[in-house]
Amino acid sequence: MSDGETSIVRRREVRGTGDAQAARVNDSGLQSQYQPYKDAAWGFINHWYPALFSEELPDDAVEGIQICGIPIVLRRVDGKIFALKDQCVHRGVRLSAKPTCFTKDSISCWYHGFTFDLNDGKLSTIVANPDDPLIGTTGLTTYPVEEVAGMIFVFVREDDYPLDDVPPVSEDLPFRFPENSERFPHPLWPAAPSVLDEHAVTKGMHRTGFGDWRIACENGFDNAHILVHKDNSIVNALNWTLPLGILPTAEDCIEVIEDDDAPKGMMQWLFTDKWAPVLENEKLGLKVEGVNGRFYRTSVVLPGVLMVENWPEEHVVQYEWYVPITNDTHEYWEVLVKICPTEEDRKAYDYRYKTFYKPLALNGFNDCDIYAREAMQDFYADGSGWDDEQLVSTDVSPITWRKLASRWNRGIAKAPRGVEGKIPTTSLRMRRTAEGVPPGYKVQKIEE
Amino acid sequence: MDDGAQVLFAFADGVERSVTVKSNETILDAGLAADLPLLFQCKSGSCSSCIAKLIEGETRQAAGHTTLLRSEYEAGLRLLCQCEAVGNCRLELGYDSEAGSVRATKAKAFVDEVEKIASNVVRLRLELAADNWVDFRSGQFFQLTVPGVGAIRSYSPATTPRELPMLEFLIRLLPGGVMSQWLTDQATPDDIIDIEGAFGAFFLREKVRAPHILIAGGTGLAPMLSIVDELRAQSGRKPPVLLSFGCTDPDALFGLDAIKLRQQWMPGLTARISVDNGATGDLLSGNPVDAVLAEDVSDPNTVAYLCGPSRMIDAAFARLEALGVNPDNIFAEQFVSSSETGSNP
Ligand code: FES
Ligand code: FES
Ligand SMILES: [Fe+2]
Repeated sequence: MSDGETSIVRRREVRGTGDAQAARVNDSGLQSQYQPYKDAAWGFINHWYPALFSEELPDDAVEGIQICGIPIVLRRVDGKIFALKDQCVHRGVRLSAKPTCFTKDSISCWYHGFTFDLNDGKLSTIVANPDDPLIGTTGLTTYPVEEVAGMIFVFVREDDYPLDDVPPVSEDLPFRFPENSERFPHPLWPAAPSVLDEHAVTKGMHRTGFGDWRIACENGFDNAHILVHKDNSIVNALNWTLPLGILPTAEDCIEVIEDDDAPKGMMQWLFTDKWAPVLENEKLGLKVEGVNGRFYRTSVVLPGVLMVENWPEEHVVQYEWYVPITNDTHEYWEVLVKICPTEEDRKAYDYRYKTFYKPLALNGFNDCDIYAREAMQDFYADGSGWDDEQLVSTDVSPITWRKLASRWNRGIAKAPRGVEGKIPTTSLRMRRTAEGVPPGYKVQKIEE
Repeated sequence: MDDGAQVLFAFADGVERSVTVKSNETILDAGLAADLPLLFQCKSGSCSSCIAKLIEGETRQAAGHTTLLRSEYEAGLRLLCQCEAVGNCRLELGYDSEAGSVRATKAKAFVDEVEKIASNVVRLRLELAADNWVDFRSGQFFQLTVPGVGAIRSYSPATTPRELPMLEFLIRLLPGGVMSQWLTDQATPDDIIDIEGAFGAFFLREKVRAPHILIAGGTGLAPMLSIVDELRAQSGRKPPVLLSFGCTDPDALFGLDAIKLRQQWMPGLTARISVDNGATGDLLSGNPVDAVLAEDVSDPNTVAYLCGPSRMIDAAFARLEALGVNPDNIFAEQFVSSSETGSNP
């Protein structure tokens, strides 16, 4: 090497050895089938996600959230909701941090007064610079919004995803019954309600999960994790006896649904002869007698929406979302749906929710899923877990999901630019955490 | 009257630029002198990078040769490095005003893997060295300098810019070829190779909603795999894609796993694999051009990308035109004849 010339060196990046041994189910051949899923740390973009419960955004309110690395500001005006990218084109400030609105059809940045049209996101004026040539030439991405049964859904899109290509929200929501009752019979329970049904009422909560959204999502329909729940109070309270686990007995234990113009996902044939309960482990001296639990069935559709039919009780269904915020945080939604045509029905449902569903199911039962997910996070956080995990036959569920998600997602979110959480260790984030406000889903509003 | 002719360049994205061309200079030189983002490479009439379509006015063939077919010339196609303006004219370019902004750069890369994947094809995986970078669009090619020999060969990556700093090339082995010799006898991981690029006007036109037909012969598959991956990553509803790939015989086939994977990832991707001889199972007997059927061209806006030997390109042009594809929507990258350089494209 001649003087003055810099030496040619390798990039110092740790790369996997890529030699997944053959004994495990997920050898390197199988892994490549779901490579797009492995690339989706920031989530699947160009999908409908829940943003807020309706009651979280009263008239005239402004709220800031973040989904798939995209900050989004929501404003409700005369009942109608608008959603824009929450990142001022001027210097990147989040409009929602200190909501400033001078008219019904605009939102202004509180910093230097850049003002955006709520309908098309265009920079419509600048408070103290109304003749600037930039006006009208730039703007913020807008996001389609739908409000259904007390929930606000936002279509989180790439800046250049055409509005004409936005599918109806029903394509990103769970399978419906009784429309699918013949295809997916459920002799042991009544048809599950849907959030899209008339008189549907949703009740539930959302909270930030500290981990990869995919880990959370896969936990939702992981049939091998009954063990985690064996001592939950709901199990004791209702005198359930759960099997040690369930094992697939047939090739077609899961059905993949790929219909045109309809949700894409998979249905698990639970409580049929395609899955068998495991009642004994001789080596450990474990034996379960008189199994007695709830009949339920799990299915999942893109972009990662779980449905648990017949849960926690008859005529109720549980939906879950694991909405990516960053590549290591997600908003965990637990939502129950029930059809309540009368005021009386609503009251009864509300009472049951407060006294039973919320404490025992959404908290008691699912809290335990949350710590299980957190316990997995370190293994996957640097990406190596996806290469090193050693999957077994019960993991047919996550594997099927990964493959179908690789095929039917409408886009893989790219690591964002200039967004909270892109650099997880900014001093501001650490200060907030030290002050008791950990990274989360909603914008931290400026208080004066 | 030599104050020159006014030449108007119309880029595909609607941008128009006008330049004065003197009587003794080529249109390409005048355009480049005015800093227009024109694509070019050899400046000698052989690579076709500088192709444009004459809409109005007249040009004159400068000294040198042209690889344009007579029919192409009659259809108004011109190689800008080979023509002078006779009077004012208007030329249409098939690429955006930003396309030329992918400027060729030189870089060093490390060999990661050399694997023989068919009777006469090697897959070469490279990783750009630290502090080295290149830019390209799916379909464009790079020049690789054969280590120790210094000869230059051109190949299109099978990967997309998203995989950078990784680059993957599919290289046809030719008896006695210097690149072939290096690959089979010497190349080992951690070797350093010089590359330069990207070059070429053959690249995916983005955001076209019409059906795409991709026809690849032999290692012409490489840019097609890159194009398929790029289409998959494009936002918005994906166009239907037909990939027709062919080789001489089953032993010469490669990349089938890669194609199958992409079919799994892309519901809208159809693949047809042909061999001239010895077809069995799902393989079609014949060439990848014949495998394209009338019903594949149901949309008049269908676009096609072709990469392979010149005979295949000619046949594909003829067939696609006959099936109703607008010739303006056909983009081709031809292998330079193997006796000359032994490279693709
Ligand atoms: S940062 Fe928004 S107006 Fe300046
Ligand atoms: S520059 Fe190569 S043909 Fe004109
Ligand atoms: Fe659970």
